[in-house]
Amino acid sequence: MTEEPYRWVEAISNRREYIQNQLAGGSPIVALRYRDGLLFLTLSRERQKLFEIYDRIAMGAIGHPGDIERLRMAAIEVASTEGFTRSAQDVSLRRLAAFSLSPALKAAFEQLYGPPYLARMLFAELGRESDGDLFVRIDFDGSLHASGGPHMRSFEAYGVLAGTAAQTQAMERQLASGSHAAADLKDALQTALDVWTIGFLTREEGEPPGPEARAAARAEQLREAVIEAVVLERGAPQAAAYRVLRPEELAGIA
Amino acid sequence: MMQGMTRPGPWTALETGPDAAATASAQPADFAALLRRNGLYPGFPAHSAHPAGAAGAGGIPETQATTILAFKFAGGVLMAGDRRATAGHTVVFDRADKVIEIDRHSLMAIAGVPATAWEMARVLEHSFQFYRRTQLQEMSLDGKVRALSKLLRDNLSFVMQGVGVVVPLFATHDTVAGTPRLYFYDAMGAQFEAADYAVSGSGSPAVRSILYYANTWGGRPLRELDRRDALVIALRALDTAAETDTATGGVDRRGSVYPVVKIVNGEGISTLPDEELAEIFRTEVR
Repeated sequence: MTEEPYRWVEAISNRREYIQNQLAGGSPIVALRYRDGLLFLTLSRERQKLFEIYDRIAMGAIGHPGDIERLRMAAIEVASTEGFTRSAQDVSLRRLAAFSLSPALKAAFEQLYGPPYLARMLFAELGRESDGDLFVRIDFDGSLHASGGPHMRSFEAYGVLAGTAAQTQAMERQLASGSHAAADLKDALQTALDVWTIGFLTREEGEPPGPEARAAARAEQLREAVIEAVVLERGAPQAAAYRVLRPEELAGIA
Repeated sequence: MMQGMTRPGPWTALETGPDAAATASAQPADFAALLRRNGLYPGFPAHSAHPAGAAGAGGIPETQATTILAFKFAGGVLMAGDRRATAGHTVVFDRADKVIEIDRHSLMAIAGVPATAWEMARVLEHSFQFYRRTQLQEMSLDGKVRALSKLLRDNLSFVMQGVGVVVPLFATHDTVAGTPRLYFYDAMGAQFEAADYAVSGSGSPAVRSILYYANTWGGRPLRELDRRDALVIALRALDTAAETDTATGGVDRRGSVYPVVKIVNGEGISTLPDEELAEIFRTEVR
């Protein structure tokens, strides 16, 4: 059946629709630059969704836990092998995303007799200087959205990940409208949580929800879920910049 | 496979098919196994068996590195090493760093062949991080101690051929019990936990005697010494080793090259600054 070109395109399109439906319910993930580095935030109920990949690279993902695990493991293997055989400075998110993850995801997605990856990932890399920060979103079909255009030079100081395109756009609009690069951790957390709520409340294109609706939705969600937040710290004493925020650092954020 | 050729690099975890999946999940947390699978595990090509000595396999003089010591004191574990690397009677390098940070709470000191030892330290450092990142938890203290033992054991065939012998020390802080821990190894990978102090390298017999004396009749056991007193003993011991052992470097004050001294405790690892070492050398050692 898939020998015929049209059938193949139709099958791919069905597969895309199926995966998009599966991913639509995922809790959004917000990553942004703040004064001391990069912050990742999401609300989670049962599973961990933010992970350390290498010294200066972190990942957040939505999708099937089994697929996220395999992709996470693969990313760590590639980064660790490169870091060991060459050096930690040679590990780069640009290369990891474009040369390793993207082709593998595309291949799995388009091989109709094999299972595709049911996952969407957001990576962030802490640059040596702040203009070297990079946010990259990688979709289940291997398509990349980098925050900085064709050469992956980061022009935007944020990255988001959500179940639907409408949610993604609403969150990106909100982040683009304000400046948070100089915010301290507390302000950055509050901004990120607010953007998360906008993503969570957006179901289709339209006006973004007002502040009251956002506060009410957030309060309701925080009763059942917890804030999961990690940072890549620019001034970290050791090479590994990744750190999970302690409960006391999240106190008062609502 | 439509896109099979576009996939570069070592990519076991993403290979589709049951065989690849089985390989990838057999030892999911073992970084050394990952390196071996990809043909990247460090090793030396051995052409012929050769008796151990100043010359390694094939008659190439082997670079070696020499006196290291570690002991528990009031502020954690102090670990120190001289800076000299030699090959036969030649001094190859006088700024070698033999006390290496493996992770936030672990130090390794090396005696023997730096080519192997530094590579072991790198494998170890990456193994601990790889474990933490993939398994989402720290490797246990026993697991870390055992990991070094396994690397030494893997190196045994080279040692038997007369190349790459390494006899390290390993110091770490037990974050569960809140106590310092110190281990020494033999070249075959046996691990021994030291109660108070451990030494290794060609200059170590003298250092061992000094530490035994200081611990037993020195007025106060090593365990109770404060930072300064601990440092004085460590530097005097290294100076004594350099006096009798040609392979141990003394202090080059003209070039300001001092021993490397690090301390590990609950707060992590700190490296003693040269200024502090210089001051103690001036007032207490010479």
